[in-house]
Amino acid sequence: MNVLIVEDEKSLAGEIAEFLKSENFLCDTANTGTEASEKIAINLYDFVLLDLGLPDYNGLDLIREAKINNSEASFIIITARGAVEDKVRGLNLGADDYLAKPFALVELLSRINAVARRKFNLTNKDISLGEFTMQVQSRKLLCNGSEVDLTKKEFDLLQYLVLNKGKVLTRHQLYEHIWGNILDDQYDSNFIDVHIKNLRKKLNLHAPSPWLGTVRGIGYRISTEQTD
Amino acid sequence: MLKLNFKLPLFNLISKIAFTGLFLLLMPYIIERINLRQVDNDLVQKREQVLSLIGDIGIEPFITSDSSFGSFNILKEEFISIEKPVSDEDLNYIEVTSRIIEGEEIAYRVLNYSFKIDDQAFLLEIGKSLDSIFHTERNIRNLMLVFLAFIIVITFFTDTLYTRILLTPLERIKGKLKMISDPSLFDRIPVKTSTSDFRRLDDALCEVMENINLLFQKEKEITVNISHELMTPIAVLRSKLENLLSKEDLNLKTEEKIEDSLKTLQRLQSLVSSLLLIARIESNQYLREDSFSLNDVLKEIVSELYPIAEDACVKLKHDLSDDLQIKEANRSLIFSMFFNVVNNAIKNTPLGGQVIIYSLIDHEKYNVLVCDTGRGMTESQKSTLFSRFKTRDRNSSEGTGIGLAIAKTIADFHKIEISASSELGKGTIFSFFFPENS
Repeated sequence: MNVLIVEDEKSLAGEIAEFLKSENFLCDTANTGTEASEKIAINLYDFVLLDLGLPDYNGLDLIREAKINNSEASFIIITARGAVEDKVRGLNLGADDYLAKPFALVELLSRINAVARRKFNLTNKDISLGEFTMQVQSRKLLCNGSEVDLTKKEFDLLQYLVLNKGKVLTRHQLYEHIWGNILDDQYDSNFIDVHIKNLRKKLNLHAPSPWLGTVRGIGYRISTEQTD
Repeated sequence: MLKLNFKLPLFNLISKIAFTGLFLLLMPYIIERINLRQVDNDLVQKREQVLSLIGDIGIEPFITSDSSFGSFNILKEEFISIEKPVSDEDLNYIEVTSRIIEGEEIAYRVLNYSFKIDDQAFLLEIGKSLDSIFHTERNIRNLMLVFLAFIIVITFFTDTLYTRILLTPLERIKGKLKMISDPSLFDRIPVKTSTSDFRRLDDALCEVMENINLLFQKEKEITVNISHELMTPIAVLRSKLENLLSKEDLNLKTEEKIEDSLKTLQRLQSLVSSLLLIARIESNQYLREDSFSLNDVLKEIVSELYPIAEDACVKLKHDLSDDLQIKEANRSLIFSMFFNVVNNAIKNTPLGGQVIIYSLIDHEKYNVLVCDTGRGMTESQKSTLFSRFKTRDRNSSEGTGIGLAIAKTIADFHKIEISASSELGKGTIFSFFFPENS
């Protein structure tokens, strides 16, 4: 998929590009609004990651222009300004999602994937995890036909880990994804550890779950080898 | 403490009563003096009349050599007598003396005057009953008393009324002061008044509030701007570190160092976003347009934090007796407020303790209580509880200590009265009073 990264902070644009390339995206960057405007007019992008705080351009105008040019691109707004009106206005103009800086790169990826699934009408396939099967559509986890009783947060946590299978997710990344809407100061909380502990307990009642690994000092990962 | 529009009439009343009292005390003496002088003048006048009568018709019709003359009116209020004097002295004086007339002793003011006709001395006595004098005096006094009482009552009411009208602008100015905690909401419409003092007071107040408002606005803008500026470099660093961490060829030590840096960065991010959040709430960047059941929020918080409490061996439960359908609020902010406070309560409660959330109606106001059996706080801890960057324990690694400051900001934003009471070693109670109209 083709992604245009519109971001005046060059090194941030570079990092996002590096990450997305490693996830097999084709990336293009634009550091000014004018440059972005030209690129959107010429090229076909699947995604535009748009920083609203451009020095020469009102980012929201770019969305307007793109919609007029009948661009197929989906917009994900990335901004440090984060004013509520900006968010509402951006989404009203047809942006597909909104991400406040600073964000985790894996979070950006999962947003892109979510938009892509909606856009291309992809149904979520069931995912197998050792003896378990995750039914993403119905939000159920089954083990040999019987359902594992998970809370909403536990399911969200597991699903996020599954979506990023093979990657180590830090506690902070997980926390941000699950409790991102809660505005507090839990930068060092044990929320994730507690939930993983409970999750493991519940899983192990049905079958062993060696695929859900702890990466000491860093976070958690669902390993690719042991799930198949 | 008394109100000015009560104090002024009260002072007037007291001073009037005091003056009236003094007047009433002195009045009998004054009236007596006036009366006596009047009577004495009367008596002297009558003497002149009698003397001129004697001069006209001679002394004979009144007195013969062996008898004296006496005359009094039927009510014995006055008498006139002419008789031969006992001594030869010249007498001319007025005195108070009592006479027995027809077996009745009556006090009189009596004028004694001796005079000679044809070398024969006579003594003229003219008396006026003091009873009649006292009677007049009593009448005057009663009249005065009624009149003064009437004046006092009337002027008290007019004073009160006038003071109230006079002080109306002051009441308005006082009403404005209620909004002083949020200078942006200060009422800048000038108060109508014809009193120049109030005009100046109101103008000065408006000016001060305007200046404070500008400063506040500026401070908020600066906080918002600084936070935004800080977010971009944090975002850059974060992406760099995250990309670095995903490299395959790292050794464990490097991985740990990167993760450590990420954690520090995360702390910085948390601080900046907390400050930004507070600044945004304070500059009204959040909308208040959700309607929802508060008990639902509280139940949700209990179910979200239940695993955390369970892990900390703290019993977390709710006892919700009354619900509030809150209107015009921001649900996610209200959620965060309770989440922070309940989470804080769990963190500060030792093993085996409990945290209970109550909702009830108290004095017609909706009240939520978060009670814990935790460590409690000292007075000094309590005083800095809602200030930014002050945790109970400075060495605590948990949180930036801004969670309760956030809760306070959210409470203020929704006009919720938040307060904490605590007993050291026994626990802490956080109380949230919702405004009546919500």
